[in-house]
Amino acid sequence: MTSSVVRPATAEARPSVLAREPAFWVLITLVGAGAVRMSEIAGRFLAAYPVATLTAVVLFALLAVPFWLFVSELDFLEREPTGLLVVAFAWGGLVATTVSIPASAALDDLVAKLGSPHLAADWGAALAGPAVEETAKTLGVVAVVLIARAQVNSVLDGIVYGAVVGLGFQIVEDVVFALGAVSLAGQGDQVRPVVATFLLRGFLSGVWSHTLFGALAGAGIGYLVVRRDRRPGRRIGVAVLAVLGAWASHVFWNSPLFTDGLGNGGLALLGVLLLKGMPPLLGILLLVRHVHDREADYYVGQLATIGDPELITPGELAVLGSGSRRSAARRHAAAHAGRQAQAAVRRLQRAQARLAVELSRAAARPAGSGRADGFWRDEIRRQRAVLVELGHPDAVTGPATWRHTASTAGTVAVAVAVLWVALSALGGS
Amino acid sequence: MGSITRRQLTNLLGALGVTATLGGLAFGLPAVDRALPAQRPVRSDEPYVIGGGVSVVPPPGATIDVTGTRPGDDQGTVLFRLGPVRYAVVVRPFAGDLASAAEGLRRRITGTSGYQVTGAQLAVNTIDGLAGLQGSYAAPGRGGRYAVFVVEGLTIEVTISGADLDLGRTLPRIEASTRTLRHDGEAQ
Repeated sequence: MTSSVVRPATAEARPSVLAREPAFWVLITLVGAGAVRMSEIAGRFLAAYPVATLTAVVLFALLAVPFWLFVSELDFLEREPTGLLVVAFAWGGLVATTVSIPASAALDDLVAKLGSPHLAADWGAALAGPAVEETAKTLGVVAVVLIARAQVNSVLDGIVYGAVVGLGFQIVEDVVFALGAVSLAGQGDQVRPVVATFLLRGFLSGVWSHTLFGALAGAGIGYLVVRRDRRPGRRIGVAVLAVLGAWASHVFWNSPLFTDGLGNGGLALLGVLLLKGMPPLLGILLLVRHVHDREADYYVGQLATIGDPELITPGELAVLGSGSRRSAARRHAAAHAGRQAQAAVRRLQRAQARLAVELSRAAARPAGSGRADGFWRDEIRRQRAVLVELGHPDAVTGPATWRHTASTAGTVAVAVAVLWVALSALGGS
Repeated sequence: MGSITRRQLTNLLGALGVTATLGGLAFGLPAVDRALPAQRPVRSDEPYVIGGGVSVVPPPGATIDVTGTRPGDDQGTVLFRLGPVRYAVVVRPFAGDLASAAEGLRRRITGTSGYQVTGAQLAVNTIDGLAGLQGSYAAPGRGGRYAVFVVEGLTIEVTISGADLDLGRTLPRIEASTRTLRHDGEAQ
C-alpha cells in the first residue's frame, strides 16, 4: 500500500471546522475585497455594454462547464468538498484577477522603463503577466492548504485545486478581455468582438491556458504538503520547480516566438498554437495521469482488502481506477440492461469510491474512534440489488460498440469543423 | 474565550504572508512603477516610427512617455508629453472606412464618463497626403482634439488632451506634428 502517496483526512471538512482557522477569515476578507473590485468593473461594463456583457458571461460560463466536468472526473475517487472548490474558483476569479490587473500593468511599465518601449511591446506580455498571475494563482492553492490542510491529501488534490483556481482566473480574465475588445472596437454594444474573443481565447487558446498552468503549480504545492516522507529540501525544490514550470509555460505561450515564423492563414495559426501549446499540455497531462493512477491504485487497493464480491467484484476493481473504464462500464450497462442499469452503475461506482475513502480515513483515525463506512456499504448493496434485478450484476466494461465508435468519430468531426471555422475567421484563409 | 494555540498562530502568520505577498503585487509594484520616471527625451528633427509603417515627427519640446508607447511591426502606440498635455498616436489594423473609424473613436471618447464631442468634424490632410477627419471634445477641466486617418488597412488615431490654457499654448506645435504623419507603405 503506497500510503505516502495519499495522506487520508480523518473527516470531511465542515465550515464550522474551517472557521476555527484564522486563515479562513483572512481568505473570506480577501475574496470579499476581490468581489467588490470585480463587481465595480463588471458594473461599468454592464452599464456601457449590457448585451455584450451578458453574452460574454454566458459564453465563458459555458466554456467553464467542460473544464469543470474534466476536473470532476479526475477527482472522482476522492471528491474535494464543493465549498473548497468554490473558494478556489473565487480566488482565481476575484482575488487573483483583482491583484493581477494593476500589478501586471505596473510590471509591463517597468519593463518599458528599465528596458525600452520596444522590449515592452515585444516581451511585456511574456514577462509581466506570467510572473504576477502565476504567483497570485499559486497563492490560492496555498490559501486552500491553510484553511483545510487535511483535505489536500494527495498530489492530485493539489492539481485539482490549482486547476480550479486557474479556471476561475481564466473565465473572468476572458470576460474582461472580451469587453475590452468591445470597448476598443468603438461600435457600441456589439457582440461580434465578444464572439471573436471567445473563439480565440476560449476555443483556440483555452485548453493551454490558466487551468493547465494552475494544475502544474498546484501539483507542486500538493507535493510539498503531502509527501512528508521526503526531505523538506526536496519537497520545497519540487514545489518551486512546478511553479517555475507553470511560469515558463505561460511565458512561452505569451512570448512573441514563432508568431511570424509560419506565415499567414488558418493552418499557420494552428501551427503556432500547437507548437506553443502542445508541449506544456502533453507534459502536464502526463504528470496528471501519473499522479491520478497512483492515487487510484491506493484507493482501489483499499477496496481490494475487503474481499467481498457483493461490495466490489474483481472486474469492478479493474474498472474503478480509470475514468475511461468507468465510463465504458456505464455505457455497457446502458447497452446491456438499459438506462436504469446505467444510472445504477453510476451510483454504485460513486458509493464504491466513497467507501474506499472511508476505509482510508478509518485507517488514519485513532483506534476505537468508530467507523463511518456503513452508509456506503448499504448503498452499494442497494445498487447491487438493482443491478441483479436488471440482469446486469457486474459493473464491468463490455466490448467496444459501433455506436460508441461512431459517436466518438462524430464528436471529433464536429470539433475539427468548429476548429476550422474558428481558424478561418481569425487567421484568414 | 480560549487562548490562541501555536498551530493557529502559525496558520495566521501563513495567511498574513499570503496577504502581504498579494499586497506587494497589487500596491508595491505600482508604487515602484510610479517612483521611476516615465519620460524620455525624443528628437524633434526626425520621424519617430510608431508601427505598421507609420511615423510622425515629434513636436519640439516633447518627451516620450514610455508607459504609453508600444511600437510594433503591424501596430503601435506612442505617447508624447508636452508638459501637462498628452499627445497620443495609435496605429491599429482596421477594415472599415474613414467615417466608421471616426465614429468608433468618437464613441470611445464619449464612452468615458464626462467626455463629450464638441463642434463640427472637419477634414484634415497631412503633408504626405493622408486624408483624415478631426474634431474636438471636452471633459470636466480638460479639453481635447482628435484626428483619424485610414490608410491601407490601418487606422491612425490621434488624441490630444490637457487643460485649455496648456492646449492653447501647445496645439500649434502638435498640429504641425500631426501633419507629418506618414505611412511608408510597408510594415517595419
